Parts: sequence; structure tokens; C-alpha cells
Amino acid sequence: MNLLKIENLTASVGGKKVIQGLSLAIDAGEVHAIMGPNGSGKSTLSYVLAGRPGYEITGGSVQFEGRDLLSLAPEERARAGLFLGFQYPVEIPGVNNVYLLKAAVNARRKAMGLPEVDAYEFLQMVRGKMKLMQMDESFLSRGVNEGFSGGEKKRNEILQMLVLEPRLAVLDETDSGLDIDALKVVARGVNSLRSADRGVLLITHYQRLLDHVVPDFVHVLARGRIAKSGDKSLALELEQRGYDWVLEVA
Amino acid sequence: MTAHSLPTNRDENWRYTNLRPLARARIDAVVPGASEPRIELPTLLPGYERWVFIDGRFAAEYSTNAADSCARLLSFNAAGEALAKVLDSEIGGAGVDFSLARLNGAHGDEVLLIAPADGAEARIELNFVVTAPASAGTSYPRVQVHAGRGSHLRIVERHLGGGGADPAVNAAFDLALRADAQLDHCRLQNCADGASCFDTLTAHVAERAAYRLRAVTLGGQASRSTIFVKLAGREARCELFAAAIAGRAQTHDIFAEIEHAAPATTTRELFRGIATERGKLAFNGKMIVRENAHEADSDQSLKTLLTGNGAEAAARPQLEIYTDRVRARHGATTGKLDEQMLFYLLSRGLERADAQALLQWAFIEDAVSQVQLAPLRLEIEKLIAANFIAPDGLVGHS
Repeated sequence: MNLLKIENLTASVGGKKVIQGLSLAIDAGEVHAIMGPNGSGKSTLSYVLAGRPGYEITGGSVQFEGRDLLSLAPEERARAGLFLGFQYPVEIPGVNNVYLLKAAVNARRKAMGLPEVDAYEFLQMVRGKMKLMQMDESFLSRGVNEGFSGGEKKRNEILQMLVLEPRLAVLDETDSGLDIDALKVVARGVNSLRSADRGVLLITHYQRLLDHVVPDFVHVLARGRIAKSGDKSLALELEQRGYDWVLEVA
Repeated sequence: MTAHSLPTNRDENWRYTNLRPLARARIDAVVPGASEPRIELPTLLPGYERWVFIDGRFAAEYSTNAADSCARLLSFNAAGEALAKVLDSEIGGAGVDFSLARLNGAHGDEVLLIAPADGAEARIELNFVVTAPASAGTSYPRVQVHAGRGSHLRIVERHLGGGGADPAVNAAFDLALRADAQLDHCRLQNCADGASCFDTLTAHVAERAAYRLRAVTLGGQASRSTIFVKLAGREARCELFAAAIAGRAQTHDIFAEIEHAAPATTTRELFRGIATERGKLAFNGKMIVRENAHEADSDQSLKTLLTGNGAEAAARPQLEIYTDRVRARHGATTGKLDEQMLFYLLSRGLERADAQALLQWAFIEDAVSQVQLAPLRLEIEKLIAANFIAPDGLVGHS
């Protein structure tokens, strides 16, 4: 059974067809990268997977560990082990980071029939992950993403991912807006999550993230479907040749 | 309107107020002993002296006022004349509606005068417990503050229920801050469900003095706060941070007028209100900057959140500026929960109801967190959690 299996998916936003017959399978232990020009449907795919309102599924199916993902509410998807790293994480003043982290972990534990996490152990665990992400402890008591720089927001997304330990992480342009040092920190975080029982779907515009998080598969998304798939070398080729040649073939 | 009658909803400044419960109440002051109150007061705040009033009258047995207190009780007649003068000459001229304050003046018989001397510091808790039914009369608490030069006064003012079904309160506060004085004033209105709770507050702020008001309105059936602050001296400052939640069929109305009448005066005004179920909320924030108030600086942020189908809310900033050399920012929004924030929380696995509660909590905390006195903030947060929003484990978290 695939970890994620998308078959012939079509979806539209505001009446416009954005995903047009997309198929993709991700197995546990794999890292896939989806690249593509602006407007090719990359972010839409991530939102459709996470269940954002306003995206209409018009055909096809998505199985997540054998379950019909599209029939689940966004929170059920998260609790089933799907994580979306947002391209533009929202600021939520008044809700502090540590509260959200704990609420999210406990929501998942509840769904699994487990008791709430021990507060002390939880904090120790979070501190360890923050160290890895080179985040200052003061982040914990600040509002979620409130007043964070672009780079800090992205680090915070990865921190949440590390704390939640999802089965599948979909990271939507997590590399955009990062300088090289921040990129390395984010990559370290993503790499630390790689394991035989998890999958990662990296959505990115540029090849440079893939120098640090080496994918098993690279796909080019064009006009709402996978136009070409390959290994890491495809990303390098795209970097050199741009997307036009893929679009011509597609 | 005569000198001693209630305003009506035809008056623009009163159109959001639910005046009916107050109008139905007997207008005379509650006769002492008209009810048997159930007094349950919060733990005394550390370092504070406590004054308790039941149905508008001082209740010595519940009070722990200090021997050297800067507060003392006066009969209304002793205070009344000076008071009327302040209202008529200093403040009344600005066109503010003091009809309720005048009613208070006509029917009340006790005034608490708080007068810290120059350079003095004082911490005072005022607890107004209302319990007599409206048929037995109206409570008329009255407080006057004369803060001496450079004094620092901290007042915590609570309006609490004491068992009665539909008590009526018409409170009046007159504050005068002399130069360099500071007044930190926290007020909590948590009257019984059926109460009508009305108040009028005037503040006269002299040069370099600062008046900081934190107001949280939660209780009662109908409430109205009429606030008028005059920044009368150079570099006078006012902070007004208010929160209100209207559930059931509650109506909360706040009218705040702040007048910049001297140069380099500053206002920071923030309101966060949630209207839920069939609750109604209004905040009118009027800001006047006079010709001579050069370099005045005002900032208004008024936001209301609607979470019920029958709920209504209005946040209205009004600016009247008579000079060019001024910095004035204002923003007002009324809306539902932010869908993007909600989705973000759902995507982290939170139950929808929990995520909604969390966002409502965060919204109101914008204002509540401005209550810097930690035990009081905790007290307020517990009330909000018990009566309106149930944010699992959030109380005391900020």
C-alpha cells in the first residue's frame, strides 16, 4: 500500500480548473519533489491535500494509507498524520506557539486513544527540536508567527512538523525567502524527519533546496498535471534549462 | 430631555443602548437592607485595601480599608456642589451627555473620595455588589478621585452580582489627575445575568499625567459606559483598553470621547468585543483634537467579532481634528473569524470547536492581556472561560 496515492485528480478554484488529471504515488521512506513554473498548480495541490475550503474536487481520488483522504475534514487529515508546511504561514496573535504545539500534539494523541502528553517531557522534547532549528526559546511564548520574519516563520513550520512527527509532510515552498544559512537549518530539520516509515513531498520553485534535502524523485508539474518525472538529476536539468522544454514536451 | 431624565434611543449617542431595564427600575436609591446579599468576593489583591459597597452603600463589614487610607466616605451633600461644578464648567461644556451622572447626583447619598497626596502611592480595590431587585430601587455608587501631583494610584473596580435577579446600577466616576499623576484603573463589570449596569466616567488629566483605563465588560443584561477624558495639560496621556463579550441577549454599549485639549497629548485606544448568540455590542470612540493640541498623537484600534447568527456589533471611530500638526491613526473592523487562521489551526489537527474557541480567546486577549495585574487578569480570564469561551487549558497562559 502506498503512503499517498493520487489518481487522476482534478480540482478547481473559483471555477477555474487548476489540477487536471494529476497522478502521483509516494511510498513510506521516500522524498518527492514537485517543481514547476508559477501557476502550474503546486500550491493548489498542497491545499487540496490538506483540505482547505474553497477548492473543489471535480474528479479522481486520493488515498492516504489506504483511506479516502478527500472524505476527511482538514483536522482529521492532520490527525491521521498529514502535515502541511505553509508557504505563507498566518500570524495568530494571542495564541502562543507552545500552546498550539501542545494542543496539536494532544489532538493527535486523543485521536490515537493516548493520554495527554506530560507537560514537562513535552517541553523538553520541544526544546530539543528548537535547538536543532536554531530557534531561541523566547519563540515559545510569542504569538504564533506574530512579528516573525519570513525565515522565522518557515523555521517555525518545520519545528511544528518535527514536534508533530507526521507520516507525510507536504512542504509548500518552504525554501522561498530563506537565505542560505536559514535554508541549511530548514534542510537539517527536514532531513532529521526522514525515516523508513515517513514520506516527504517538497514543493519548490528552485533546485537549491534539493542540494540539501536530496529527493528520491523529482516531478515537474505543468498545467495541473505531472508532465515529467525523474530523479535528482531532473532538478539540475531544470535549473539549467528552465521549464519551457518540459512544457513543450508535455 | 429634562435635567434628571433618562436619555432615549433617538439620541445618536444612545442608539445602541438598551435603556429599557434601567427605565423599568425604581428610580429612587435602594433602601439599605432591601435585600440579603450573597457576598462572594475574590481574594484580596496583594497590597490593596478593599472597599465594598452593597447596592451603592458602603459595607464596612466587608471592607479592609487602611487606617491611613487616602480614601474616605463623604455624604453627597458635601461633595455634590464641587462635583456639579466640574461637570458643568470643565467638562459639561464639551457637549457630552451626563444625564445618567446627573441622575446619580440627584439620587445618591454617598461619595467615596480618593485623594492621594502629592507624590503618594495607593492601591485601592472597589467592589460594588448589586443585589436588590430593580423594583426596590437603583444603586448609585459615586467615586471621586483627586490625584495629587506625581502621585501614583492604582484602582481596581469591580461590579459584581450578589444574588438579585434584575438589579439596576447607575454609577458615576469623576477623576482629576494633577500634573505628573498616574492612575492605573482596571474595571470589571460582571453583574448578575439580569442586571442593568450603567456608568459615567469623566477624567481630567493635567500636564504629563497619565490615565490608564482597562475595562472588561462581561455581565448583566444591559450595560452602557459613558467615558469622557479630557487631556487638559501638555503631554497628558490616556490609554483606554477595553474588552466586552455579549452573549445570550446581552447588550453592551461603550461611548468614549477623548479630547486632546493641549499640545503633545497622547491617546492609545483599543477595543475588542465579541458578540455571540443574540448579543449586541457597540463601541463609539470619539476623538477630538483641539486647535491648540499640536503634536497630538492618537491611535484607535476597534475590532468586533461576530460569532452568532443573531449577534450584532458596531465599532465606530470618529475623529474631529482642528489642527494640522497631529498624528491620528484609526482602524475599525467588524467581522467573523478569520478563515485563514481557522484553517491553519485545523491543519494542525485541532478540533473545529477548539480552534474557534482558541481564535476567539486570542481576539479578546488582545485587550484582556493589557490588564497587567496578574491575579486580576487570571480572575477575568477564568470568568471568560466559564461563561463564554471554553479554551481548553488557556487560562493564565498568556
